[in-house]
Amino acid sequence: MYFSGTDRYYLTRELEEIVNIAIQMEKPLLLTGEAGTGKTQLAFEIARSLRLKMEEARCKSTFRGEELCYVYDTVLRLNDSRFGSGESGRDVNNIWDYLRFGPIGRAFLAEDRRVLLLDEIDKTDSDTQDNLLDVLEDGSFIIREINHKVVAKKRPIIIITSNAKRELSDPFLRRCFCHHIPFPSPEEMAHIIRLHFPDITDEFLFQSIDVFYDLRAKNFEKLPATAELIDWIGAMKSSGCQSPSRDGKIPYVGTLLKRTRDIIKFRNMVARK
Amino acid sequence: MLVSFLYHLKNRGIPISVKYAMELVEAVQRGLAPDLQRFFILARLICVKKVEHYDAYEQAFASFFLGKEFKGDLKKEFDILNSPLFNSWLKREIEKGNLNRSSIHKIPLPELLERFWNTLLEQKGEHHGGHRWIGTGGTSPFGHSGNSAVGVRVGGEGTHFSALKVIEKRRYIDYASGSSIRMENLGQVLQALKNLAPVGPETELDVEETIYRTAKNGGEIELYFKRELRNKLRILLLLDNGGYSMTPYTNLVSLLFGKLRHIFEDVETFYFHNCIYGYVYINPERTRSLPLQDFLSKEPDSRVIIIGDANMAPTELFLSDGAIDWETNERITGLECLQKIAEHFKCSVWLNPIPKFKWKSQSPTIESVARVFHMEDLTLDGIKNAVEYLNERGKIYSKN
Repeated sequence: MYFSGTDRYYLTRELEEIVNIAIQMEKPLLLTGEAGTGKTQLAFEIARSLRLKMEEARCKSTFRGEELCYVYDTVLRLNDSRFGSGESGRDVNNIWDYLRFGPIGRAFLAEDRRVLLLDEIDKTDSDTQDNLLDVLEDGSFIIREINHKVVAKKRPIIIITSNAKRELSDPFLRRCFCHHIPFPSPEEMAHIIRLHFPDITDEFLFQSIDVFYDLRAKNFEKLPATAELIDWIGAMKSSGCQSPSRDGKIPYVGTLLKRTRDIIKFRNMVARK
Repeated sequence: MLVSFLYHLKNRGIPISVKYAMELVEAVQRGLAPDLQRFFILARLICVKKVEHYDAYEQAFASFFLGKEFKGDLKKEFDILNSPLFNSWLKREIEKGNLNRSSIHKIPLPELLERFWNTLLEQKGEHHGGHRWIGTGGTSPFGHSGNSAVGVRVGGEGTHFSALKVIEKRRYIDYASGSSIRMENLGQVLQALKNLAPVGPETELDVEETIYRTAKNGGEIELYFKRELRNKLRILLLLDNGGYSMTPYTNLVSLLFGKLRHIFEDVETFYFHNCIYGYVYINPERTRSLPLQDFLSKEPDSRVIIIGDANMAPTELFLSDGAIDWETNERITGLECLQKIAEHFKCSVWLNPIPKFKWKSQSPTIESVARVFHMEDLTLDGIKNAVEYLNERGKIYSKN
C-alpha cells in the first residue's frame, strides 16, 4: 500500500514520505497549516488513489466524541415500544436495531480498510479530543448501554486536520504524527495551478503568481490563499482577461481579498501609486 | 546511538518522551528509514509535534549528522541573537572572562558573530568525534558499507529530496518559538492569546446539567447556569508607538489585537510615547488624550497589556518634570504613573520587543520598569508566559 499522489493533487516528496510512514506505522496523522494548503483534500486523494472508502467527520464545537462512534436512538426505541415498529423491521427487544454508527464506528466495523478523516479537530474541546484519541489509539470503543466492545477489524488510515484555531493539548499531540504543511512556494504553486488549469500559458501563470505573492506580502487582515488564487485565475480566464495586472490594478480583486477593510486598503494603495 | 540523537534533540529544547524513542526504533526496524533523508522525515514525524520546534529540529539534525552548524545564511542577525545557542555561548564567554558584560554592546555585531562562529568551529573537534551511531567506519553498525539490513546510508545520492537542502532553506524559522512576532507566526501568537482564561457572568442555562441535577434532586427542578460562550474578558492595550524599536511592531500588534476583537468582548487600545505620564492617547497620532485618572477609573479586573521597549532616558522615568510632552502638567514621575497603573490593574503585563537577554545591557530603565510590571519579550514564548501570568493573576477576581 503506497500513496504517491494523484493527477489532481500536487504532492511534495516530503509529504509523500510522511503519509506513507503514517500508513505503515498505523498512526493518526495530524496535519496543520494555513487554510488552502490542501490538508482536507489530502485525505480524499489518499482514499481515491488507494481505492479505499472514506469515512468523514466534520467536527463541531458541540461534539462530545461519542457520537462519532455511535448514537443510541432512545427516542425511536421508546416510540416503537409504545406504538410498535410497524413494517420497519426493527425489533424493540434488540438494542442493535437502535444503534446508529458514526464515522469512527463505521470505519471500525468495516471489513475493508478505510480512510478516516477528522476534519478541523481544533473546533472540539480538549476533553473530546482526548477521548477520541483513546478510541483511535486502541482501535476500539465500548457501547456503554450494553457494555459491548467494538474492535476495529482493520485499522483505518486516520487523517486529522487542524486549522489551529486553538492550541491542541500535549497528550493529543504526543499520540499523533504531526506535520505542518508550509504554504506552497511560488514554484510549488505553479505546479498546483497547472493541475487546475492545464492549458494556462507560462506568462499568464507567472504573472498571476507574482501578483498573488505580492499581495500576500502586504499585511492584509485575511491573506489570500490557494483557493482564492484558483478562483481568481478562473474568473480571469472565463472573462477572457489578457493580463493579471496592469498599472497595479488587479481585475476581480474581490476574489482575492474578502474583507471590506482589505479591499479599501488595496484601493488606497493603488491610488497612491 | 539513536538514544544520543534523542538526547541531542532534548538538549536543543525539543520535548522528547520514551514513547518516541520506542516508536523510532520500531520504525527503523521496519525499514522506514532506508537513507538519511528519510530518517530526517521519520524522526521529525515521531519526535517533533509543534511547528515552533521544526527549526530547532532541523538545526539539531544538521549538527548531529552532517556536522554543520548553521552559518551566516540566517535571515536576520536578530534571529541569531535570539538563538539559545548564541545565548549559551555568550553566557559561557562571560563566565570565562573572555567577554565583559558591560562592553558587549560596544563590540560591532559582525565581530561578535565572527567570534561566535569561530568558537563553534573549534568546538567541532570535541563535539563530533567518535561514537556517533552513524559513520563511515568504526564500530558503528550503521555505516555506509556495513552489512546491516537496517542501516542508514551515509553520503551518496539519496533517491529522495535532500534533507540538507531542506534544512538550508530554513522554512520554519519564522515559526520558531524564540522568534519575535511577525506575519508568519501571527497565527501561533493568536492561539497563545486565546488561552486567556474566559471570564463573564454565568447566565446561560445548561440544559443537560439542569436535567441531571433535577433528576438527582428527585424531580425538584434545579436550574444550572453556565458561562456564556463569548469571552467577557476586557483587554486594555497600551501601545508605545513612539520609539524606533517599536516601529516594526506597531502594525503587527494592532493587527493582532484587531483579530482578537471577535473573541473578546472588549479590546481597547491606547497609545503613549516612551513612558506614561498624566495622559494616555486614544488615537495613534497622539492628539486626542485621555487623562490618566479616567484611564484608572476603568474596571480593575481588565487585563492590561503594555507593549513598549521601556527604553528611555532615565530622567524621563525618574524626574517629575521629565515629561517630554510639555502640555502635561503632571508633577509625579513617570515611574509613579506606571506604579499607579500596576496597582489599579492587578492583571497587567509588559511585553518588550527587545529580547530578554538584552534588557540588562540595553538600558537601566528596562529593569526599573520590569520591577513594576511583569515583563516578557515580544516572542511566541514570551507571549505564552505572559498569558500564563495573566491567567494566574486573574484568579483573584474569580472567587467561585
